[in-house]
Amino acid sequence: RIVKGVKIPVELRKSIVETALKALEEEVDESTVF
Amino acid sequence: MSGARNAGPLELAEFPVRELRFGGTLQYAGGALEVAEAELVELASRDPRILEVGLDIVRPGERVRVTGIRDVVEPRVKVGGHAQVFPGITSPVVPVGRGRTHRLSGMTLIATAAYEGTIRTGTTAQRSAILDMWGPGADLSGFSRVPGLVLNLRLPPDLIEAEAHQVIQAAEYRVAQRLAETTAVAEPAAVETFGAAPGNGNLPRAVVIVGCITESEHLPSGLGYYGLPVRESLATVVHPNELMDGAVTGNTLKTIAYYPTTWDWQNQPLAMRLAREHGRRVDFAGVILQRIRFEAFREKEVAAHNASQVARALGADAALITWLGSGNAFLEVMLTVRACEEKGVRTVLVTYEYGGQEGTDSPLLFYDTHADAVVSTGSRDRILELPPADRVAGAYQELQVLNYPGAPVVSALDTLTLDATDAIIGGTDLWGGRDWTCRAH
Repeated sequence: RIVKGVKIPVELRKSIVETALKALEEEVDESTVF
Repeated sequence: MSGARNAGPLELAEFPVRELRFGGTLQYAGGALEVAEAELVELASRDPRILEVGLDIVRPGERVRVTGIRDVVEPRVKVGGHAQVFPGITSPVVPVGRGRTHRLSGMTLIATAAYEGTIRTGTTAQRSAILDMWGPGADLSGFSRVPGLVLNLRLPPDLIEAEAHQVIQAAEYRVAQRLAETTAVAEPAAVETFGAAPGNGNLPRAVVIVGCITESEHLPSGLGYYGLPVRESLATVVHPNELMDGAVTGNTLKTIAYYPTTWDWQNQPLAMRLAREHGRRVDFAGVILQRIRFEAFREKEVAAHNASQVARALGADAALITWLGSGNAFLEVMLTVRACEEKGVRTVLVTYEYGGQEGTDSPLLFYDTHADAVVSTGSRDRILELPPADRVAGAYQELQVLNYPGAPVVSALDTLTLDATDAIIGGTDLWGGRDWTCRAH
């Protein structure tokens, strides 16, 4: 269910789309070479 | 937006429906939509292939089960200009996605029809969906949270699939547009403008890639672009505003939950969100429609390569990758993640899970090490027991819960046990439009 090597980034509820957008921003940041 | 260019911005004017009722005049006033039954029945009946038309209203919390669902539509109409919603289907092929569009929010038009089809098994066999407006079934679908106008169509039993799809789609779109025309002189509650902000080269340039199962040898193919059935195709770029105006449509004969409704395409949540963030958090370059479910692995690799090349040609730094459908078509999706990452396009995969009834089975069909950012939209694999209904709306008074010739028939009023969320319209959150989360376990 939680795959090694794969990062998966009573109202905890959050927008799935916002989660995806934040993950996208993180992905782009990670690829930045300063 | 400098990727998928549009000739101008789109103003989307919202007219919320707070009350939906039948009445003598078709009108929208003060948040109430009054539906003149005779006028809409006459409008839908203009196609001689429609033998009978019925209308019903279902409301949240009512113990009503809607059966034989073929599609769900948000009523919209374009005002001013030559273009109209659903180009190529109920209006001429004129580019859409600019100008002004009125939408009736807070309600749906639910098209239902009894139709058994000429193909009884396999991937091209028809499958309709149900919707409970109360109880555990309602919890799974956003369509249960707003009132719905049910448009029930009786078709001749000998229509072939392509014709049945065409009849249902044209009728529901005409009725939806007519409903939205009631807003012509009303003041909108809000107006949102898409596509006006200039691009910003300092922001990550992003695309949305939607992998779409299509049938290469049968109609309906499962995906329509300006009314043209997409069969075997390489990747196509569309402007997100075109989605909002109904330029991309689905299959009215395949409404199980892992296929999108027209409403889903009109409100594609990933494209809508990136369009809203264009020029602020991302530089949105457009939506790539990718045909998936090729039959040989080499063909799947080519489809993935092609979509990633289109993303690069649009200058993308990043891609939100999602899909519609089920089965081995997911290989193209994961291979597209890999192809994009290998070309320097960072990806986030947005997908539903399997996981089995206990949530401990394999959540996805196929993996690749490049898929290091995945957002789940929830599991399809949930046994559901739906309590008995007080009444049934729509096409079928009796249901075959299992979909094969000769499967047992039960009363649509009775308790139903489902082995997955597939049979509930909107029961699978295909593209992340919902808000929920889970506990770690």
